[in-house]
Amino acid sequence: MATCSPSGVLATKVGAGCAENPYLCYQCKRCTAGCPVADQAGMHPAQIMRAVQLGQYDMIFEDKFIWLCTGCQTCTTRCPQGIDIAGIMDELKIIARREGKVHPDAPSAQMFKYNYDSFARWGRMWEIELIARDALHRPKGVLAWLSLGPKMLLKGKINPTLKKGDTDAMKRMVKTAESLTEAKQHEGGKG
Amino acid sequence: MSPKTLAYYPGCSLHGTSAEFDASFRATARELGLTLEEIPGWECCGNTAAHSINRLLSLALPVNELAKVEKDMKLDAVAVPCAACYSRFKTGAHEMQDPAVADDVKSVVGRGYDGGVTVQNLVDVYHDAVGLEALAAKVKRPFKSLKVACYYGCLLTRPPDVTQADDPEYPTRMEAVVETLGCEAIDWNYKTDCCGAALALTEQGIVDDLVARIVSDARACGAAAVAVACPLCQANLDGRQSEIARKDSAWVGLPVLFLSQLVGRAIGLGDKELGLSKNLIDARAVMA
Repeated sequence: MATCSPSGVLATKVGAGCAENPYLCYQCKRCTAGCPVADQAGMHPAQIMRAVQLGQYDMIFEDKFIWLCTGCQTCTTRCPQGIDIAGIMDELKIIARREGKVHPDAPSAQMFKYNYDSFARWGRMWEIELIARDALHRPKGVLAWLSLGPKMLLKGKINPTLKKGDTDAMKRMVKTAESLTEAKQHEGGKG
Repeated sequence: MSPKTLAYYPGCSLHGTSAEFDASFRATARELGLTLEEIPGWECCGNTAAHSINRLLSLALPVNELAKVEKDMKLDAVAVPCAACYSRFKTGAHEMQDPAVADDVKSVVGRGYDGGVTVQNLVDVYHDAVGLEALAAKVKRPFKSLKVACYYGCLLTRPPDVTQADDPEYPTRMEAVVETLGCEAIDWNYKTDCCGAALALTEQGIVDDLVARIVSDARACGAAAVAVACPLCQANLDGRQSEIARKDSAWVGLPVLFLSQLVGRAIGLGDKELGLSKNLIDARAVMA
């Protein structure tokens, strides 16, 4: 819809990715009221929804909120308009990654990537690899483990051995899913 | 009662930081007459990372496992005790109702899935696959009114159109299981609030606040222990309490047990089989 441009661009992108219609939101703020991290960033879920409607890219991507969303699904469960708001948060993370707009101070964004790389490579997520990669790239992150880490080690909670899944099948699925997604992206871009 | 066979998807955490969950779940299943067949060469379900990086892959990974259960193992139910994996399995199956999504997923998986597999979380296994009557018949060492706060966290019940939970805001099925064991399930406020999940790896301060709120309410409502059915909930509620105690000297730890550990104790399994030594807050006193 040309009349919505440029503000319609982000909402259309979000809708194309997760089949949700952000314009259904009428700002009742039940999502925000139930959100466990609503007070932890500059924006809260209802504000993100409004910014999506208005095509406010910068407002969303310069804030940390989407990277603090835990995916707890409370917003999705309570939305009176039936919008999968947590799904929209996921879609915004996907768009941010694709368009190089990942927040510079969002260690969770990196953690998701380490996690993805880990299961894509081994067929299963290798917990210790995630922590190790995070420690290499973000030395201050290690501080958070100084007390709990040794306790977990002593209790035998940290299993250093890697148990692989069917790595060939995993690699094939990752490759197909990524190329199919990219092809659709291309298709959508033309329209 | 004829022996029941369930496919079993342990997931990455049960082979890693939550080995006691795997051990206690397997031990209780064996005692309760269930045969668990681990899905051969299972893959990661993609967890939180996949659905925030590639939506199609996040649906295809669990559907691939469901197709293995349906087509290779020829079973009609899979036990997925990790709540996060359970959520991905239920979401994958749910999204397959959209023919366009099902087509794309089929291209990634390499074959179709006909929807013939019931996905059961930890509560479902005890409540439905075993059944409360059969469970009651196996209880040898009932708890003497141990007050338990049943903590569901997020993904056992939400979103309800995916999980088909009867009451996503105030579920009571876990309560029915612990009461069968002789525990007293308390009424409390935070049973479906989020513990912070994977933020425990990067934003520990936020998780500490959420965990403190949840555990304080459980204690204020009279609980002597918290029962959980998710490895991340357990790791956060149990592990972060030691960090909270470092900041708040008046903090007294509340034991956080997997539901499978409580079931195991009541049906007569030993501490070792239940991996009780791995709980960070010593739970042996409440389990004695």
